[in-house]
Amino acid sequence: MKDKRRLLFRIAAIVIILAVAAVMFVIGRGHTIYFDNKETSYNGQTVEPFHKVVVTVGDQKPSKLAKGDRGMGEVMGQKLTMTVEITDEEGGTPHAHKVSMNIPYSMDGITINIPALMAGLPQEAYLSEFVIEVPDEGATDEEIVTDEFDMGGDM
Amino acid sequence: MKKDNKTKSSPDMRFIIQKFSVPLMFIIICAICIPLSGLSANMLINEIVTRMGRNAFLILSLLIPIMAGMGLNFGMTLGAMAAEIALIFVADWQIVGIPGMVLAAIVSVPISVLLGIFCGKILNEAKGREMITSYIMSFFVNGIYQLVVLYLMGSIIPIKHGAIKLPRGYGIRNTVSLLSMRQKLDNLLAINIGGVKIPVLTFIIIALLCLFIVWFSKTKLGQDMRAVGQDMDVARDAGINVERTRIISIVMSTVLAGFGMIIYLQNMGNIATYSAHSQIGMFCIAALLVGGASVDRATIGNVFLGVILFHTMFIVAPKAGAAITGDSMIGEYFRVFVSYAVITVALIMYETNKRRAKKTAGQQLAEAQKAEEAGAAAGTTQADNAGKEKA
Amino acid sequence: MTSEKIKAALKNFGLPRLIIAGFLLLLLIMAPFVGADLPTQISNIINRFSWNGILVLAMVPMVHSGCGLNFGLPLGIISGLLGATLSIEFGFTGPLSFLAAILIATPFALILGALYGWLLNKIKGGEMMIATYVGFSSVSFMCMMWLILPYHSPNMVWGLSGKGLRTTISLEGYYIGALANFLQINIGSISIPTGTLLFFALLAFGIWAFLHTKTGTAMTAVGSNPEFAKAAGINVDNIRMLSVIMSTWLAAIGILVYEQGFGFIQLYMAPFYMALPAVSAILIGGASVNKATIMNVIVGTILFQGIVTMTPTVMNNMIHMDMSEVIRIIASMGMILFALTRKTEASK
Repeated sequence: MKDKRRLLFRIAAIVIILAVAAVMFVIGRGHTIYFDNKETSYNGQTVEPFHKVVVTVGDQKPSKLAKGDRGMGEVMGQKLTMTVEITDEEGGTPHAHKVSMNIPYSMDGITINIPALMAGLPQEAYLSEFVIEVPDEGATDEEIVTDEFDMGGDM
Repeated sequence: MKKDNKTKSSPDMRFIIQKFSVPLMFIIICAICIPLSGLSANMLINEIVTRMGRNAFLILSLLIPIMAGMGLNFGMTLGAMAAEIALIFVADWQIVGIPGMVLAAIVSVPISVLLGIFCGKILNEAKGREMITSYIMSFFVNGIYQLVVLYLMGSIIPIKHGAIKLPRGYGIRNTVSLLSMRQKLDNLLAINIGGVKIPVLTFIIIALLCLFIVWFSKTKLGQDMRAVGQDMDVARDAGINVERTRIISIVMSTVLAGFGMIIYLQNMGNIATYSAHSQIGMFCIAALLVGGASVDRATIGNVFLGVILFHTMFIVAPKAGAAITGDSMIGEYFRVFVSYAVITVALIMYETNKRRAKKTAGQQLAEAQKAEEAGAAAGTTQADNAGKEKA
Repeated sequence: MTSEKIKAALKNFGLPRLIIAGFLLLLLIMAPFVGADLPTQISNIINRFSWNGILVLAMVPMVHSGCGLNFGLPLGIISGLLGATLSIEFGFTGPLSFLAAILIATPFALILGALYGWLLNKIKGGEMMIATYVGFSSVSFMCMMWLILPYHSPNMVWGLSGKGLRTTISLEGYYIGALANFLQINIGSISIPTGTLLFFALLAFGIWAFLHTKTGTAMTAVGSNPEFAKAAGINVDNIRMLSVIMSTWLAAIGILVYEQGFGFIQLYMAPFYMALPAVSAILIGGASVNKATIMNVIVGTILFQGIVTMTPTVMNNMIHMDMSEVIRIIASMGMILFALTRKTEASK
């Protein structure tokens, strides 16, 4: 009887831990978001870039984008909330918009075209996967230092 | 009776001096080196607080095997390696921030437990030589770790991201960035007092571990461990499963060391894939011993005193060495030498004490037998008392 | 009946040893198929054997006296390094510098060995762990000394600052090949360093002969049963100290022989882990924590160096992954672990 209860407790503990791990998978998934203030076309419709856009994600440093610029931000989880501050022309007063959207789990890097987004185009028009290019260190492999004789340096 | 008193007080004095000799020596070294290093008090305190948060958890993981009489667990490196493997996975899955750390902790547990059971079983086969065996064990598992990380990851174990993988297609790079996790734990709830950043959450976690250790030592299992640590044969006669208890103590230490390593690495912000764990055992053990612990006795107080003293020395020695000799390498070699020397001295003290205790125990036994022969029951109680004092 | 006997023999032989021997055999069989040049390989093994043999031999006296495996080998190596650097500093050149190095290293080895032996007598039962840390402490202490000591020879100190010894010092013009070139035999791609092998044979024979003298048998007695040895009137501490001094001296000579083959003196952290290959080599050769013979040394060194030289080429040709380093670590550490877990009958 006691053994049975113990087993039950153990199974429950493992289930809970696995559940926590699953939750971490969802809420902890990191994405890198790239914001483009570039011209884009969708179904023959061309969207012009704004004069100036300031995108702020959470408490990260705002990225200020002139025409043709690209900015970057990090987001954790699948919900992206950002403030987009648009200046239409030189000297014009900026108007801010709060935008939030769901982003696909599978993408590490995501490019969002701000003009297309603000123009109200469908998701496939403004959102695309950004494939990170690994800085090519040439064909030469980096040498692996297994630290057999090293002192381990600093703590 | 008079003579008895005298002999009683002198070992006490000796005991006290011996107990505090290492911390005292370090206080002197630090006192000499701090002014020479030219570091400001603010900078020094900042560094020590950072290092306290970084290392305390790791060092605390050493306490449980000491409780079980298995000496300094050089095999804590095993936990560190488990944590590194877990973090490599988490980095590849792109789970970031604190959720990433929690996930890494969860992933590290089964690896740590397996390695801990393996290590514990081997140590049970090598009773009386636990330390050298756990030391060689750390090398052995390092070989397996290299096999897994350098050859199997990317070829058999899926690793997706090119930023982690070597360009040749398998194996992990020399450094794996944990930028998305860097000091996330330290910075959450951090407060700033007079220019010193205090990672409150990290300290809370360390405090919780301290509470756990205190609580654990009072549980049935904790008491069993103490009993095993005192005398395996007596413990076995008392119905304790000695082998199992010892394995549990190593498993706990390995798992905790794994958590400690995650805290350590989130502070560093990157993993030196092939070297981060290699000296961690040595530095943690040295720090614990500097805090006044010995091979068979260590408290939570030793951990904190040790972190402060050892790391003060660690910070100031290269700068002080450069100030004296004009060569910063001297200071770096000096601190490495001191780390090793402290461990050597502690090991020597432990072994000589053990021999002395054995000798006195033998003498007491002989005396007790003599007294018994004389028919006086008082003899035995005296010997018993003396035995208790020793313990 | 016989199967049980085989089982017992197998258990005695040890699984790790069996795996390692089998692995080496496999390498040898595979070598011609994957296009590795067997004569070169064998030549390499012989050469590396000649470099390392004496370092492994240095294990024997301490194992015999019950001091366990000499993890404190770096202490002896340091004596050898002092001899080597001082010999160059004093201006000896050519093969003569080798002799001078031995002569200078000897007093250091004797003094350090005596201190080390005295220490090990104080801590009977915990020798191996403390030996390890004595080795580490001495290596890291000497790291400071190599920088501080007033060496001046321009071939050894850093060119820029003019002080502090370099991490590697070339022996060109000094005792490179001092032994190896003596009576060297060259057949095709095989070259046999006869001089080094003879020197090893000389020392090995010396140890073997010593172990058969009265003091030598006393040493074995101390190792196998200290209580009995004590009862028989043997001064256990003195015998143990003698064995430690011998081991330390052999380590000092061993590193000098290694250097004359290798061609460089390696200072600073280089001696740090040198005990581990030597320890695992003698264990692979069939020794245990309290039993070792000259045969164990020879067989073990050949097997160990065989694996070290064969794995990179064979593995590389076979699967295009150079896993030799990892295999070496796992095999040698596994061997030491295995030996440590064997119950030793007497000792302690």
